[in-house]
Amino acid sequence: MRLYWRNFRAGRAGKGPRGLIGLGVLAAVMIAGGVFIALGLHDWRPPINALSVTIAALGCLVVFTLMLSQTLSASSEALYERGDLDLLFSSPIGPAKVLFVRALGVAAGVTTLFLLAAVPLLGPSIVWGHPGWIGLFGVLASLALAATAAGLLLAMALFALIGPRRTRTVAQVLAALVGAAFFLASQARTILGRETSGSLVADIARQAQDGRLRPPPVASLPLRAMLGEPLPLLALLGGASLLFGLSAATLGRRFSDAAAAAQGKTGARAPRRGTASTRAFAGGVFLATLRKELLLIGRDAALLSQVMLRVLYLIPTALLLSRNAASGAGAALAGGAGVVVFLAGQVAGSLAWITLSAEEAPDLLAVSPAGTSLLRRAKLAAAMLPVALLLAPLIGVLVWFAPVVAAWTAAGALLAAWSSGLLNVWHQRPGKRSEFRRRGGSSWLATIAEIVVSALIAGATGLAVAGFAAWSLIPLVLAGVALLSLRRGEAQIARNGRTLVNS
Amino acid sequence: MTEALIVRGLDKTFAKPAVMDLDLTVHAGELYALLGPNGAGKTTTLRMVAGLTRPDKGEIRVFGIDARTDPAAAKAVTAWAPDEAMIYDKLTPLEYLEFVAGLWNVEPKVGKARADDLLAKLGLASEARRRCEGFSRGMKQKVALAGALIHDPKLLILDEPLTGLDAAAARLVKDMLQDRVRAGGAVILTTHILEVAERMADRIGIIAGGRLLAEGTLEALRAQTRRDGRAGADGGSTLEDVFLQLTADPVAASVVDGASA
Repeated sequence: MRLYWRNFRAGRAGKGPRGLIGLGVLAAVMIAGGVFIALGLHDWRPPINALSVTIAALGCLVVFTLMLSQTLSASSEALYERGDLDLLFSSPIGPAKVLFVRALGVAAGVTTLFLLAAVPLLGPSIVWGHPGWIGLFGVLASLALAATAAGLLLAMALFALIGPRRTRTVAQVLAALVGAAFFLASQARTILGRETSGSLVADIARQAQDGRLRPPPVASLPLRAMLGEPLPLLALLGGASLLFGLSAATLGRRFSDAAAAAQGKTGARAPRRGTASTRAFAGGVFLATLRKELLLIGRDAALLSQVMLRVLYLIPTALLLSRNAASGAGAALAGGAGVVVFLAGQVAGSLAWITLSAEEAPDLLAVSPAGTSLLRRAKLAAAMLPVALLLAPLIGVLVWFAPVVAAWTAAGALLAAWSSGLLNVWHQRPGKRSEFRRRGGSSWLATIAEIVVSALIAGATGLAVAGFAAWSLIPLVLAGVALLSLRRGEAQIARNGRTLVNS
Repeated sequence: MTEALIVRGLDKTFAKPAVMDLDLTVHAGELYALLGPNGAGKTTTLRMVAGLTRPDKGEIRVFGIDARTDPAAAKAVTAWAPDEAMIYDKLTPLEYLEFVAGLWNVEPKVGKARADDLLAKLGLASEARRRCEGFSRGMKQKVALAGALIHDPKLLILDEPLTGLDAAAARLVKDMLQDRVRAGGAVILTTHILEVAERMADRIGIIAGGRLLAEGTLEALRAQTRRDGRAGADGGSTLEDVFLQLTADPVAASVVDGASA
């Protein structure tokens, strides 16, 4: 558990005084939000009826899918990470105990993540008027235990079914799909054209009004537990703990065998080629670096899920935008174009963070005669190319139905992607890919700036598509100001850590 | 004799001085071994020569090029291979060589021919299309060495090049280095295996506490220890004897001039 805690601390965001200040500000904002919630809900007693029970159960399902996404990813990674696992399995500790502790670490990590959001927001309400709501934390813990057990079972099932070479990649893709499952399900109705609105809650409320909503009695357990009723809370915690304990106990031996089998089999075999081709050696620094970055992006299973989650959000939105373009729905087009631009900026940001910061052989680049700016351009291009390929079909459809919308969307996406890339150049934190997962995301400042700048450019695109091109200058100027204020010189970039020394 | 590497008055201080007023010269067609105890300043010296660490003071010239004012030109004729292989686990050896050749702008036809040749010589031809992630440490070292040689560098800088290699691979690498030296290239390497330096090096530098204590051929170093009256009962016949005598009392050791051949 101490090893797990060390890894968690090593990966936490906000190291250093600036990071601590940032975290402090974020915590203060959340606690202030929690106080407002406490003031608003002080005299409110949630009813236990079909509607509230269904919504609480659905909420738990959403949280469970998000947790499962993380536990599945962590469980599959645990099979391939050597580090302390070799030491633990070579010690006299039984495999079931090793797996139990490892799984407990995963569950604790997931619970902590959700508690970090829930405690500041609900803490004030618990202190002031609703002490029973502390049960929510118990529900989160039981969901985390159940999600960890399910994640372990899924990872081991994948390992048995498709073998060590493919499990890592498939598990990461599956984790991204599970994480986005609720969003994809809610969007499916809209994309398929059966509904114009995707509001599931409104649909449920309508059914409750008509008296058609009759959830089974067991569905009331989460809500009752959240409100602090001891028996439902104990039932949930007990059930989840039992599931967790059983899976750790029964899978221990299998896990140790799988971890041994996974050694050295990380990733699919590279496609075979004939002999070395002369063409592969052509192109100089730019093409060689671009090619290398694209190969590494495509082959890194763990990074795949991080990016894929954002791509999964992009695809339904893009499909919806294409449909609206075909049907000429003006307002929906503006909103859709904005969302596509925002997500393009986010995906490019994730990829740029990978290509610019996660460099496995920084010394190799530093001892080469290649210039830093050329290497950076190639790395940025590698981050933007997949986004361009992803958006190309959408832009193609838009060009056919609404060429002006296509032009605005393409320009907005390019600008958002480029801005995110620049932010990652200025605020890069060079490190090895192997350390990358522990380091978490990029700097919190760059992450927030990426979101803000992408949102501003998305807003500008939406306004332009809606026919208010002049107004779009306002968010564009704001985005420009944000970018200029975050610009970093070469010396400042170099201070962030190991970086390329050629100039 | 062409001077491949000239280092003059090199200084580097981190928390404490790592390298102090270091002078050394490596000639073309020469293999120079830089020896010293742990923390002596060997790796820092090589990293400064390779352009990875900025010196506080001093001059570095690679085949006449001032490496501090024109680093790109100096790097174009230099290769650096540290003890930890600088490779990408997710790339195959062939893809790695394609990338490194691109970094040094090697002509495509030349790059392809050299890659085929290096992979064959280092016994990696059958593994050329397998990702490096499953490779042993020794195999990774060989891939890194192939990368270091793909642009046919005139000066090869190696930090513990034989770490992790089995006997056959170590022999292969030693032969390749000597071939390069015979062809007019220059090699500067560090090693803790004194037998390697004794057998391969044309000249040896011994460094401790950031200072070069002695430099010269093995014979010259032996002569120095005898002259200083620090030879053992057997006359201090091996490099190990010389090394231990010189590094045991670095302050009292003679400066380089006395041993230079």
